[in-house]
Amino acid sequence: MLALVAPSVLFIALFFVAPLGLFLYRSIDNFEVPGWLPRTTDALSAWSGEGLPDEAAFRAVAEDLAALNGTTALPLLGRRLNHNIPGFRGLITGTGSRVDPARPGRMREQLLALDARWGEPVYWQTIRRERHRLTAFYLLTALDLRYAPGGGIELASGESAIFLGLLGRTLGISLVVTVLCVLLGFPLAVTMAGASPARANLLLVLVLIPFWTSLLVRSTAWVILLQNQGVVNQLLIGLGLTTRPIPLIFNRVGLYIAMVHVLLPFMVLPLYSVLKSIPPELMRAAASLGAAPGTAFLRVYVPQALPGMVAGASLVFVLALGYYVTPALVGGPGDQMIGYFIAYFTNTAVNWGMASALGTLLLLVVALIYLALGRVVGLDRLAVR
Amino acid sequence: MPNLSRCWIALAAVLCLGALAPEARAQGKLVVGNAGGSSADAERKVFYGPFATANKITIQEESFNQELAKIRSQVETGNLIWDMVSTTAINVATGCEEGLLEKIDWSKYFDTKVFRDVGGVSECGVPYLFVSGGLAYDGNRIKDNAPKTWADFWNVTKWPGKRGLLYRAEQTFEVALMADGVPPAKAMEVLSAPGGVDRALKKLEELKPHVHWWKNGAESINLLSTGEVAMAYAWNGRVASANKTNNLNLKMELGAGHVSGCQYWAIMKGSKNKDLAIKLIQYAVTAQHQADFVRVISYGPANRDAYALLNDQEKATLPGQHLDKASLQLGKLYLGFWLANGDSLLQRFVKFAAQ
Repeated sequence: MLALVAPSVLFIALFFVAPLGLFLYRSIDNFEVPGWLPRTTDALSAWSGEGLPDEAAFRAVAEDLAALNGTTALPLLGRRLNHNIPGFRGLITGTGSRVDPARPGRMREQLLALDARWGEPVYWQTIRRERHRLTAFYLLTALDLRYAPGGGIELASGESAIFLGLLGRTLGISLVVTVLCVLLGFPLAVTMAGASPARANLLLVLVLIPFWTSLLVRSTAWVILLQNQGVVNQLLIGLGLTTRPIPLIFNRVGLYIAMVHVLLPFMVLPLYSVLKSIPPELMRAAASLGAAPGTAFLRVYVPQALPGMVAGASLVFVLALGYYVTPALVGGPGDQMIGYFIAYFTNTAVNWGMASALGTLLLLVVALIYLALGRVVGLDRLAVR
Repeated sequence: MPNLSRCWIALAAVLCLGALAPEARAQGKLVVGNAGGSSADAERKVFYGPFATANKITIQEESFNQELAKIRSQVETGNLIWDMVSTTAINVATGCEEGLLEKIDWSKYFDTKVFRDVGGVSECGVPYLFVSGGLAYDGNRIKDNAPKTWADFWNVTKWPGKRGLLYRAEQTFEVALMADGVPPAKAMEVLSAPGGVDRALKKLEELKPHVHWWKNGAESINLLSTGEVAMAYAWNGRVASANKTNNLNLKMELGAGHVSGCQYWAIMKGSKNKDLAIKLIQYAVTAQHQADFVRVISYGPANRDAYALLNDQEKATLPGQHLDKASLQLGKLYLGFWLANGDSLLQRFVKFAAQ
């Protein structure tokens, strides 16, 4: 028995669990600071955090940075610390390329002469806080939290605190898109399930063809259709239904339209396969037992369709959470979703700690939602029989 | 039995062909990462095509949209897919510092003084085009009474209609400062000084209700040509291309002040085709080929000697006459500021635009 499942388990472990684990670990991984500033982190662990550290810490930093000079570790350390304080990169690379620990005199004077920022406690406090192998910094930032100057954790200042809002917005948009997909997809799937084979095939093909078209092409097509000078508005104005163009794109409405259009097949297909397996005799049996059509539908048909609806809705919800290309193309500035920043941190900023922290946050929230849903609805009732 | 032996013969034949094929493919190959679109089409027509034919190699293009992480992952794993990339000043500086790009003494291969007007060559990158972003409007919709300054751009009473601005902190902040009266050459100085960013955001706040944010070059042209916006910040090459291909009459007022910078070629660290890449760069930066490039795509040349080979009509949308009105996207101040603050300012900008 074990031998039969072993290959599958191995495959899942290697290609799913391991990468996922690595990805989650990135959000707390802090190898750069203790790895590249060993003497400094040692010297600062004894420091109280008040004012400036002593000469031993200055010498430790000078020696550590001088050792990194000429290697790629210096700018990479600068990049790492720049996430905590913008400008730290210049401080690290500027000092590292010029400091000379062998020169006589106090290191404190030399460092302050190279860059006055070594006299500001906040830079030292940051290194001290990040001296451990693991860090909470990325996760805190993803929750719009930060370390308060006096110690403890506080809510980050208004200007750059966007992640919680983004997360809320992402969940909200995904929820609305899911509900719209259920409302539009259920009647379609019911029709397909009840139609003659020829008609059902035709409907299936009509659902699948847009599914096979590129996402970018479909999103751009919506722009052309819905823009102020686009086909839809020209039609409405031509019919006299409105005098001024209605803003249908580059706002939340356009985003919902485009996302529902893209995600509807993911709702219809699982639902259709479940509905197809519901024996039609049961509805007739209900009628013969005296149920009105509406009652029969609600009490016999829908409960059997529920697993399919949940499967389709789950799929649509999770996919919608990860979308950022469609919001970028058809949404307005108030419609950006969290994927935009995950992609930015991964590709452009090369800040994998933040990308991973945001992804971890998203994963946790979705897991919590599913646990809650399972409690409320009862997981065994959702199983497809 | 006879069928089986035929199978073996067929298999052997295929394997022999397969073994021979690498011989045929052994001619050199260069892989370039660029952003595609009309820029890449022009590069292919003027640089890659003729160079590949003359040197009997193939040049393959891959998609690269300034994602530094892609360069980093290739170089760090030693698994290079690209040999060279077309990239921005910031990526050249970062990539060079972080050991991702080859450091080359370019003066051994060509005269580097001709690039002085556009900021010169860097250790790891050579500029090959000069792109300017400035005030653009449709000449057919705004005939007389054309806007002349960025303050005019901000004036929605005299020129009613929406405005198109780039959905990025970089370039948009400089434009906001220019509208607030800062001379273009001083825009980076003011922006990087304390209070600079606040000043730019405050100015943008004034215009925000009328702004339509665009995210890619094609969108900016679409907004202008359909009349969705009355004026927009747009890149000169795109505007000139659109005029040529779609017979439009989009105009640019570069004298108002423009944000200009270079696109560079950089060679990935550890590339086995380094010498071939250097030869391609040598080919592309000559005054003649730079002028040819301008004729196709209408971005500015990086080599200043190319201007002498162009006629007045070709120079119309180029910033040559307005180089003093440029906020240049290069130099220590520009690089230092955006390297340090790029991420945090993007967050601040996204939040600002969303409200």
